Parts: sequence; structure tokens; C-alpha cells
Amino acid sequence: MPSKAHAAGLALAALLAAGAAQAGETLTVYTYDSFVSEWGPGPGIEAAFEARCGDCDLEFVALPGGVDILQRLRLEGQGTAADVVLGLDMNLIAEARDLDLLAPHGVDLAPLALPIAWDDETFLPYDWGHFAFVYDTEQLETPPGSFAELLAAPEDVQVILQDPRTSVTGQGLMLWIKKVYGEQAPEIWARLDERVLTVTNGWSQAYFSLFMNGEAPMVLSYATSPAYHMAVEGTERYQAAEFEEGHYLQVETAAMVANTEQPALARDFLAFVLTPEFQRHIPLGNVMNPAIDLGDALPAVFDRLIAPESLTFSPEEVHEHRREWIREWLNAVAR
Amino acid sequence: MSPLSPWTTLSRWPLGWGLAALVVVVGLGGGSLGALLWQARELHPALLWEEPWLAAVLRFTLWQASLSTLLAIGLAVPVALALARRPRFPGRRLLLRAMELSLVLPSLIALFGLVAVHGRRGWLAPLRDALGGLPEDTLYGLSGIVLAHVFYNLPLAARLMLQALEEAPAAQWRLAGQLGLSRGALWRALEWPRLAPLLPRLAALVFTLCFTSFAIVMTLGGGPRSSTLEVALYQAMKFDHDLALAALLALTQLAICLTLWLLALSRGGPPSLAVGAAPGQGQGRWWRRDALGLSRLTDAFWLTGLAALLLPPLAAVLVAGLGGLPDLPRGTSLAPAALRSLVMALGAGLGALALALALLSGSHWLRARRHPLGAAAMEGGGQLILVTPALVLGTGLFLLLRPRLGSGWEGYGLVVLVNAFMALPFAMQVVRGAIPGLSAPEQRLADQFGVRGRARLRWLVWPRLRRPLALALAYAMTLSLGDFSVIALFGSPSAPTLPMLLFQQLGGYRWQGAAATAMLLLALVVAVFALLDRLTRRPPRHPWPHSASHEIRDARLP
Repeated sequence: MPSKAHAAGLALAALLAAGAAQAGETLTVYTYDSFVSEWGPGPGIEAAFEARCGDCDLEFVALPGGVDILQRLRLEGQGTAADVVLGLDMNLIAEARDLDLLAPHGVDLAPLALPIAWDDETFLPYDWGHFAFVYDTEQLETPPGSFAELLAAPEDVQVILQDPRTSVTGQGLMLWIKKVYGEQAPEIWARLDERVLTVTNGWSQAYFSLFMNGEAPMVLSYATSPAYHMAVEGTERYQAAEFEEGHYLQVETAAMVANTEQPALARDFLAFVLTPEFQRHIPLGNVMNPAIDLGDALPAVFDRLIAPESLTFSPEEVHEHRREWIREWLNAVAR
Repeated sequence: MSPLSPWTTLSRWPLGWGLAALVVVVGLGGGSLGALLWQARELHPALLWEEPWLAAVLRFTLWQASLSTLLAIGLAVPVALALARRPRFPGRRLLLRAMELSLVLPSLIALFGLVAVHGRRGWLAPLRDALGGLPEDTLYGLSGIVLAHVFYNLPLAARLMLQALEEAPAAQWRLAGQLGLSRGALWRALEWPRLAPLLPRLAALVFTLCFTSFAIVMTLGGGPRSSTLEVALYQAMKFDHDLALAALLALTQLAICLTLWLLALSRGGPPSLAVGAAPGQGQGRWWRRDALGLSRLTDAFWLTGLAALLLPPLAAVLVAGLGGLPDLPRGTSLAPAALRSLVMALGAGLGALALALALLSGSHWLRARRHPLGAAAMEGGGQLILVTPALVLGTGLFLLLRPRLGSGWEGYGLVVLVNAFMALPFAMQVVRGAIPGLSAPEQRLADQFGVRGRARLRWLVWPRLRRPLALALAYAMTLSLGDFSVIALFGSPSAPTLPMLLFQQLGGYRWQGAAATAMLLLALVVAVFALLDRLTRRPPRHPWPHSASHEIRDARLP
């Protein structure tokens, strides 16, 4: 019964999909929704890949974020419709590996230009960026140059944060502070709390509803955020503060599903990830740093971004301690 | 005397439809929760009181939801009375439209508007500075949460109360005028009896909405001190994959909200006998006696207050949206996204309406036969999906319908279905007052004339259902029009709806374009309400002359 309904549904979908690629094979890629939007990197990458493979059809399925991709994969298990997942960041790798659903990518990692060494055989980086506090130069002339300075800043230097339980950037800050302060982290959280205007559930609320409305001079975001403002909006107003302790690094990866029906096509796609045709859509499309050296193809504004030291935990450490560290944060600030 | 309506006296089908709808709703809600429980295997209820911050979250959630409900409902009463007392004043229609808007605003847009007005650098900041001594951060913390919840729910409550007040037959008002009833007497004789049956359900609805509110509580709360159960649930589900904790939290939420609903439903009693207005007529061809004197001042106060609460944030969205018009995506995705959203909203709206009618007629049938518990259960069933966390619903459905679902058209279908269930409580709230059908004298007369069956439905029942149905459809449609949470559960091929487009724009730093998309969404919502209002404004052809119908109604005045 279900298979019949399913087949009917598929037939309908195929009919309505306007028969663009009747004979060709379809590669289904799970990713997050800002990646596939018409101003994101998705459309350009899709066109480039379809031109490359000739007869195939690249189909993105958009989920809200990296955690949702992991969750979908976990729920679908062996029956997943995905051939490739794109958008799991470093902090989700350990969980994703434990699912035993992903296969080695088999791509030569020599072109990689990450701030850290990378030799993972399953997860292939496609972009990276540092978490950072973005500040409004019209409200704050000299930003704090370190966590220590931020904690000692005058009272009106307030920041907007995101919750580590619901947001990637929020979790980034949690790991960042843990890496810098270790055992002292709870105390730092409690002190930082006095600088905090509010803690939103997602980056969009923090950046759009609050920061762009001028509610606070600083917001937790990415070191690459100013690139967008400078290149697309043509304004220097928003800049990232460079902290001397170093910045926590986010690396976003792609991986292929082990029992995909399209192994050859999936491998082709992963090989395509580290080519300039894919990577040139990353800097302004995804507002992140490309995973390879793009040379002159890198937009000039990227040379004007901060280039801090990178801080990381291994994915296994994050996996092991995440719950404990979130509790630590909760108990430090929720009293 | 219980108001047996013809279709309930003659047939059992209302019960059948009601039961069928109940089975679908409970099957979906209970099924997805059950699937989660089955996967989770072990529950540890002790966690609820052993984990200190969880207990604190629960306490805070109960507190903010109660406070928000009290304020929203309490303030809605004088606002609704003032609106009913003044059927004509410049800007009344605008105010009504704004009231309908605020409820269906996606939280992200509402937050933007509220922050732009009440924020530290908002429009009101200069006023605050001028007054001096006022704290800067009133928007962050409990006061901000309550403000946002009142912004959302007061208009809804007042709108539904106004509908109930306007259903009072014109003849009653005329008689009250002739008798020269004072304001207090009017309140006791006419206004309170119409509002009273509405209040318990309205309060339960508003409480549920505040209890499950997520983005608002987090963004304006100032930190994890003010949080909701759903955040804990989100973490349990997404990062820790701790289905047992997720199920426990969902059950807690369900238990609290459903208890409240059952309490409210058992209190409502049979709806007032006075229902039976000439549809679409309202009072309002003349000024009410009590509209003069001191009440001019107080009404002006309440109406100005309402306008001050509602209009500036909406205006802020409008201003930002106009500024962003040039940044709208050119052609490619906008129009299809809007069309896709509308089609899905229509599906969800009609679905919600059908379910609401089935459940309400079923529960009415039961109540008429003195099964108040069964009736309450049937009505309570309709609220089940609203109090089930969306995340639980999505995950549970996945577990149920595995191995595959949510891809392509099945996904859209599922989103429409879930949206219909989410909108169901709103639709029920609106249609409910009109369902009891005919009053006893009308019934007797109809029986004498042999008007029964389809003719009775067409000429006697439909005319008084059409306006509530239109309003219910408008609410249900626009709720799903602005929905993002459900569609996000299932993921989508690269064909977004309008709210998804909005989120994509935000994710891609397209603030101005996003503001313009938000404005477009608001325009669509207004258009849906205005269109449905227009379509049903003129009274239908009436089976008997108005003068005759007045006599009948006059016969049962107090």
C-alpha cells in the first residue's frame, strides 16, 4: 500500500518536475536553506556541476541547519534519500560518524588551504570561518581586543549572543570560551553575563531583529560577516573585533552516504567540491572563506578581514563534553 | 433548555463526523508522541524536579504565560466593548485589519517591529529620554516578553469578543435603548452574557500560545533565565538525541496545557441561547445611547491605547519593507513562492475549517444529549496538535512513516496537513459561537413551516455561519501563510514558500530584501482577510422579510 502511494507520488513529482532530466541520474544533496537560496552558492554550483556531468540532475533538499541534516540522517537511517550531505560542521562530525552511514570521500586533500591540518577520510571541508564579535563602528570606536578587554569594558559596551542549545554560533562561543579559559569558564560566563543584552535562539534574530536595529554595539557572528557588508552593501560600518586569545574555528564539511544508489556521481560531486568552479561561489555566496586558495578569484574585501589564531577542540572532545559544557554554561548564567 | 438544532435532532452524522475528525487528530498527535515514546523506551520523570534549571524553567514559563494571559484577556475586554460601542469612526476598519495582522505575524517580523519601536534605540527612545529616569532595557526581560505576548494576543482576544458582541441581535440593542438601560445594566444584560462563555476558551488558547512561545521568550528574555520547555526539548532532540528526555518534556507540556483546556471546556457550558442574530447586520445603524458622555473619553482611551500598541511596530515593518523593495529578488522566486504559499494556505485553511465543523457539530450533538464530558473531550481533542511541540510532531511522524517521507510533493502535503491541525484551535474558536444553530422559537417556526433538511441548512443555518466561517478561514489561512516552523521540519526541495524565502534572505544577509518580503507577506495576509470579509459582507438573500424575523427574535427577549 504505502509503496503504491509512494510510487504515485513520485510519478506525480516526476511529471511536475517538468521533465528537465528525464534520462539522467539525480544526485540528492541534503544541505541547509541559506545554501540553496537564489543568492546563496547553491544555484551557481548546481549549474556548474550539471554542465560538468552532462546528463545529471543535482537536487538540493534544504533543511534549516547543520543539526537538522544530522537529525534527518539519523531518523532516515539506511533508507535515506540523500546521496551526499553538505553542511555538517566540525562539531557535528563525531555524531555523524557514529551513525555508520557515511563513506570515505576518496578526494585528494592537497588543494586544501585551511588554517589547521586536515586528514579526515570521510568529511571533506568546503569552507571555513572564525566566530567573532562584529561591532558597529558608529557606536563603538575602539572595539575590545581580547576577552579580557571585553569583560573590563565600560557598561554600555553590550553584546547580543545566541543560545548554544539552538544555534551554531552560540555553540561556537561556548567552545571558544571553554578553549580559552578551561576550568575558569563558568566564572567568565558569569562575568560576561553583565555585558550581555540578550541571548537569542538564532543568529538571524540577533543580527537582523536586534543588531541591525542598533540595540547593541556588538553581536556574536563570523569574522567573515564584514566581507558581505563591504562587498555587497559597500559599507565599512560593520567590522569584526580581533581577540588576541585567538578565535574558535568552524569548518563545514560534505560527505557521501555509504549505500547511495549513485556512488560514482556522489564521488564526482565531492571531487568537484575542491575545484575553483565550486569554491568561487563560497566567499560572497556563503560569506565564508573558501577551502582552497582561490588566488585572484578571491574578492578583494577578504584581504581586509581579520586573520586571527585558530582555536579548536577535536570533534570527539566536543561530542563527549557538549552536554556537560552546556550545563556548565546554564548553571553559570541561569541563576 | 438545550438548543437542539435540526440536524442534530434528526441524524447522527454530526457525531460520526466529529468522531472521524477526532480519530485523525488524536491519531496524528498521539501517534507521533507514541512513536517517540516507543523509540525512547525509558522515561525518567524524576528529572523534572531533580534538574534545578528545568524546574526553574517550568516555573518561569507558567508565570510569564499566566501574566501574559491575564493582561491580554483583561485588556481585551474594554477594547472590545469600546469597539462594539463605536461601530463607526475614522480608522476603525484599519484598526480591525491591524488586529487580524498581529496574530499571524511570523515572530521574527514581530520582533523586528517591536524592537524598532520599543528597543533601546527605537522610536520611543527619545520620548523615554525626555521623560527621564525610565529604565532603558524594558524590552529585555519579563516586561518585554509580556509586551510581545500582549501585542500578539490582545488583538486576537478583542477581535473574537467583538465578533460575539456584534452577534447580539439588533433588536436587543434597540430595546435596551428604549428602556434607557444604564452602562452597568447593559453590561449585565447584554455584554457580559455574550462574553462570559467565550472567556475560558480564549484564556486557554492564549495561555497555550504563550506557554509554547519560543523565539519571543528567548530573544526578549535576556538569557537562559527566561526560557521555555521547548528549548530544552530542542537540545534533547537535536544535539543529544535524547528521545526519552524529549518525550518527557513534551508530555509535561501536553499535560499542563490539556488540563487547562479541559478545565476551560468543562466551564463553558452551553453557549448562550441568544445566538441567532440576523447575520452580518450587527447593530450600528444608529448611535447607542451609552456612546455619549463619559464613555467617549474612556473609549477614546482604550482605542488610542490599542492603536499605540499595534500600529507602530507594523509601521516599522512597513517602513523597512518599503526601503527594501529595490532589493527584492528579481522575478525568479518571489511570485512562485507567494503563489505556493497561498495554495498551501488555502488547503490548510479549508482543512482546518472542515475539521473544526466536524468536531464542533459532534461536540454540540453530545452536549445536547447531556454528555458534557464527551463534548469537552471532543473539543479538547482539537487543541491537541497546538500543544504538541512541532519538533515532536515532525520527529514522531518521521518515525511513523519511515523509511521515507517529506520529499517533494508528499512533503508539501504533509506540511498542509500539519498546518491545518495547528490552525484548528483558532478556527474552532471563531466558528464555535455560530454552531449551535437555531434558537428554540426559530426551530418551532421552521418546523411549522416544514423547513427542514437541506432547505433548513441553506436558508437558516448557512446565513449565520457564513461570516464566522469566512473569518475562521481567514485566520487559518493566514496562520499557515506565515508559518515557518512546520515547513522547516520536513525540508524542501529548492522551491521555497514566502516565509522560507524570508529566512533564506536573512541567512544570506539580505536584510532589506527580507524586510520587503515581510511586507509582502503582510500585504497577502491583509488581502486574504479583506477578500473574505468582502465576499461575505452583504447579507445573503433572506428567506423572510426582516420585519417578520424581528418579531420572532423580539419574542424571546428578556
